[in-house]
Amino acid sequence: MPPSGIPAKRALPPKESSLFKEVLNLYESKQLKKGLKTADLILKKYPEHGETLCMKGLILTHMGRREEGLELVKKGVRLDLTSHICWHVFGLIQKGEKNYEEALKSYTQALRFDKENLNILRDAAHLQTQLRHFDGLVETRHTLLRLRPNLRQNWIGLAVAYHLNGNLTETKKVVEHYERTLKNVPDYDVEHSEVLLYHVRVLEELGELAEALNLLDVNAKSRAIIDRTAIMEYRARILSKMKNVEDAEHTWQALIQQNPDNYDYFKGYFSNQGLDLFQVTEETRDKALQILREFSTQLPRAAAPRRLALGVATGDEFKQLAEAYLISALEKGIPSLFTDIKALYKEPSKQESIQGIVESHRERLSSPSPPSPSSESEPPTTYLWTLYFLAQHYSFIGQHINSLALLETALKHTPTLPELFMFRARVLKRLGDPFGAARCMDEARLLDLQDRFLNTKVGKYRLRAGMEEEAQEVLGLFTKKDASSPGADLEDMQSLLFLTEDASCHHRNGNLGMALKRYHSVQKVFNEVEDDQYDFHGYSLRRFTINVYLEMIPWADRLRSHVAYVQSAIAASQIYVRLHDDPSIATKSSADNLTDAEKKAKKKAKKAAQKVQEEAKKGHPQTSATEDKGLEPGPAKDDDPDGSKLLKSTDPLDRAWKFLSPLAILELDDVEAWIAIYDVAVRRKKFLQAVRALNRVHSLDPENSELHVRLVHLRHIVLSLPQPPPEPIGPVLAEALDKLLSPEVSLETYNSQYLQQHSTSARSILASAKVLHLLGATPAEEIDNTIFNIFNPEVQVDIEAALDVVAFLRSIRSARVGEFRAACDKKFELSTVFKAPAELISLRRKAIATIEDVEKANGEKTEVVT
Amino acid sequence: MNIRPARVDDLMGMQACNLQNLPENYTMKYYLYHELTWPQLSFVAEDQGRIVGYILAKMEEDLSEGDEPHGHVTSISVLRSHRRLGLAKRLMVQSQEAMATVYRAAYVSLHVRKSNRAALGLYKDTLGFTVRDIEKKYYADGEDAYAMRLSLKHLAR
Repeated sequence: MPPSGIPAKRALPPKESSLFKEVLNLYESKQLKKGLKTADLILKKYPEHGETLCMKGLILTHMGRREEGLELVKKGVRLDLTSHICWHVFGLIQKGEKNYEEALKSYTQALRFDKENLNILRDAAHLQTQLRHFDGLVETRHTLLRLRPNLRQNWIGLAVAYHLNGNLTETKKVVEHYERTLKNVPDYDVEHSEVLLYHVRVLEELGELAEALNLLDVNAKSRAIIDRTAIMEYRARILSKMKNVEDAEHTWQALIQQNPDNYDYFKGYFSNQGLDLFQVTEETRDKALQILREFSTQLPRAAAPRRLALGVATGDEFKQLAEAYLISALEKGIPSLFTDIKALYKEPSKQESIQGIVESHRERLSSPSPPSPSSESEPPTTYLWTLYFLAQHYSFIGQHINSLALLETALKHTPTLPELFMFRARVLKRLGDPFGAARCMDEARLLDLQDRFLNTKVGKYRLRAGMEEEAQEVLGLFTKKDASSPGADLEDMQSLLFLTEDASCHHRNGNLGMALKRYHSVQKVFNEVEDDQYDFHGYSLRRFTINVYLEMIPWADRLRSHVAYVQSAIAASQIYVRLHDDPSIATKSSADNLTDAEKKAKKKAKKAAQKVQEEAKKGHPQTSATEDKGLEPGPAKDDDPDGSKLLKSTDPLDRAWKFLSPLAILELDDVEAWIAIYDVAVRRKKFLQAVRALNRVHSLDPENSELHVRLVHLRHIVLSLPQPPPEPIGPVLAEALDKLLSPEVSLETYNSQYLQQHSTSARSILASAKVLHLLGATPAEEIDNTIFNIFNPEVQVDIEAALDVVAFLRSIRSARVGEFRAACDKKFELSTVFKAPAELISLRRKAIATIEDVEKANGEKTEVVT
Repeated sequence: MNIRPARVDDLMGMQACNLQNLPENYTMKYYLYHELTWPQLSFVAEDQGRIVGYILAKMEEDLSEGDEPHGHVTSISVLRSHRRLGLAKRLMVQSQEAMATVYRAAYVSLHVRKSNRAALGLYKDTLGFTVRDIEKKYYADGEDAYAMRLSLKHLAR
C-alpha cells in the first residue's frame, strides 16, 4: 500500500522507492553515470514512472544528450501532472535554455504541489525578478521569509521585492524589523554597512530626510557604516535636500578635497548654493567664478575647477582663463586638449577667442627669433602640439584643407608622432577618402606596433574603406591566436565596435547575408548581457550589495537603448524590409556582387567554421560522456557561416520586428528608429502601430525628409486598400493620418509644395524624388531632373547625403547614376567615394602601408617600435 | 576629465575602452561581478559622456594562510587619446583609498606583462609599486608577468 495521498501511478514498492531516492542523491552529487544506471533499474520495471523519467531526462541533459533528455522529461511530466519533481525538472531545463517565461510556469505548477519547497521558491523568485513580475515576487519572498526567518538574506530579499514593486513603506518596515533581529554584528562588517546605507537610502527616497540623516550619522559615528565616500555622498545630498546649506557645503567641500576631479561633487556644491554650474546666468556668473577661483587656489593639481571655469566665464575673463588653460596644456603636450574644450564651441565667441589664443601662440613659437625671454624655455614639442590643436580646430569648423596643411607642417617637423597621422586619417575620412584615411591610420600604427588602440583604429578604418579581410588581418595581431578567426575572438569578447563596423562594412559592400549575420551577433550580445543579470538576483542578496543591485535592474531594462543595439536593429530591419520587398535580392546578393576579395573571405569563413566544427567533434570523445555539461546549451554550431540562410529566411518581417520591438517599448527619441518601426509595421499591416510611429517622428522633427516620404507612402497604401480596415482601426487610422497629412491636397501637389519649401536641402530633394518614384506616374527623366537640382549652388549637400542619392538612383536603375557620381566626384574635391568601380580597386590596394613605406617617407629619422 | 566611482551604467563603456586598448579582455559578466561585489573599488574617467579610462578592481577572496586582506587591480587602462593627464594615477589613488577604508586592505597587488615597459614605469615610478615575483606564463599567449605590490598601510584609519 502506498502512503496516503500519493497517487497510485507515482507510488513505487520499497525497493524502487529507495532506488529513486538514490537517483536524487546521485544527481545532487553530480554522479551522472551512476544516476543514469539507477534510474534505468527503476524504469525497467516501471517504464511509465513519471518522476524517474524526468530525472533520467535531467541527467541525460547534463551529460550533453539534450534532445533525448528533453523528450523524456516531457513524457515524464505528461505521465505525472501533479508531481512537483516533474515540474521542477521541466522548469530547470527551461531555465537552462533561458526560456524564463515557460520556466516560471513550470515552477508555479511545481509549487502548487509542494508549496514550501525552498529550492523551488528561490528559483521562482529569481525567475520572477528576471521577468519583472514584482507582485508575484513579493509573495514568493514572503513565503521564503516565513519559512526561514533566521536566514538574513530572506529579510533583505523581501525588502528588495517591495522596493522593486514600488512599495517603499513596506521596504522600510521590513528593514527596520530585520535590524531589530540582528545580534552580535561583528565590527567592520561590510555587509551590515551596506544594509544600513540601504536603509538610509530608503528613508531618503521616502522623503524622511531628518530620519535618514540621523540614521546615517549615528551609524557613521559608531563605524557601523564603513564606506567613507558613501557616508559623505549621502550626507551631502541629504543635507542639501534639507536646505541645510551650511553643513551641506562642508560635506561637499570634503568630497571635493578627497576627489577634486569629480564633476558631480562640484555640481552638488554649486546646486547647494542655488547655482546651476552648467546653466550660469548673468546674475550668478561672478559668484560661480569666484568659487571656482578659490577651488583652483586650494587645489593646485586639480584640473576640474579650471576647466569648469571656462564654461562659466565670458569675455575678457574667459580669454584670460582660456589662455592659461590652453598654453599650459600645449606645453605639457596633452593630446586630448581639443576634445576637452570643443564643447565650448557652442558659444561662437569662445570659439573665436580660442582660435585667436592658439594662433598667436603658434606665431610666437614659429617666429625665428624668440621675442620674449619666456618663450625661450618652450620645449620644441609645444610647437608641435600647437599645430596639432589647430589642425583639429580647423577641421572641426569645416576647414579641412587648412587642417591638412597644418598637419603637413607638423609632420615635417616630427614625422614620428602617431597622433599626427591619426588625425590626418580622420580629416581624410571627413573629406570622403576612406582609402587615404585607412592608409594614414596604418602609418600611425606602424610607429607604435605595441599599441592596441592604434591597431583597433586601423581595423575600423579599413572596415570603413570596405576592406573586410584586411581589417580582420590587422585586428588579428591582438586577438587570441587559438580563435578560429580574429572576428570570432572579437565576437566572443562582445566587441560591439567590431560587430557593428563589420556589419556595416558588409552592408555597404552589398554582402547582405554577412551584414545580417553580424547584426544578429549584436542582438546576441545584448541577449547574453540581459541573461547575465540572472545570477545576480540571488548573488547580490547573499553578498548584501543591494544598493548597486538596485542600479542594475533599471540598467538592464534600458540595455537596448545602447547606440550599438539601436543602430544594428535599424540597419538589420532595413535589410529585412528590402528582402521582403524584393526576395530576389537574396540570390543576387550572395554570389554576383562579390569582389574577388570577398569571395576569398567567404571561402575563409567557411573554412573557419569547418575548423570550429571539426574541433568540436574532435573534442567530443575526449570529454567523457559522464562529464557534467550543465543545463545551458553549449555554443550552437554555425551552420550559416556566410549568412546566406538568413538571406533566404521566409519571415523577414517577423525577424525585423524582433530587432525593433525593444526600441518601440523603450520609446526612444530617435527619428531613425521610429521610421524603421513604421517601415516594418506598415508591411505587417499593423496600421495603428505605423501611424503612431509617424506621430512620434512628427513630434520629434516635423520637417524630417524621411517622414515626408512615409506620410505619402501611408496615404498611398491606405488609398489602395480594397476596403478600409475594420472598426475601430479604420476610423482611428484615418483620423490620425488626416492630422499628419491633409486629405484635401493631392499627393502630387503636396510633394511639390514640400519641395518648394525645402528647395535648398539635399535630403528634401531626395525625399521628393523618392515620392515621385513611389507615386509611379512620373517619367524617369523627371525624377532624375529633380535629383540634379542638388547641384544648384544654393543647395546644401554633404557627402553622406550624396551617397544616399547614389544609392537611390541605383535602386531605381536611373540612367544618370554615373553622371551623378562623376559630378559629386568633382564637387567633393578630395573624396574618393564617388570614383568609378575600377578606380576604387586600385585605391584599395594603396590603402595599406608597410614599414618600408614609412621609413622611406621619413628618412632615417624614424625609429620604428617593433 | 571627470573621475568618479563606476556605476553599472558605465560597464559597457569600460568594456569598450578595455577592448580598444588592451589585449586582456573580459565578457560583461566579469565586469558585473566586480561591480556587484565591490561597488566601491572601480572608477572611471569620463570625457563628455564617454569612458576614456577605468580601473576595475576587487578584493582577493582566496587568502592563503597568513596573508592579509588585500586588493587586486584586475585591469586599468586609459585610451591613448587621453594620456598625459595623469588619469591612471588618479584612478588608482581613488581605488586604493576605497580598498583601505572600506575593506581594510593591507596592500594592493597587480600583474603586468614583462614586455609592457610603459605600464611597468607607471606602476613603479609614479605609483610606488614594487616587483614581488615573476609569474611564469601568466598570460594566455605564454608571456610572463611581474606580480607587483604596494602597501596601503599609510591609508589605514
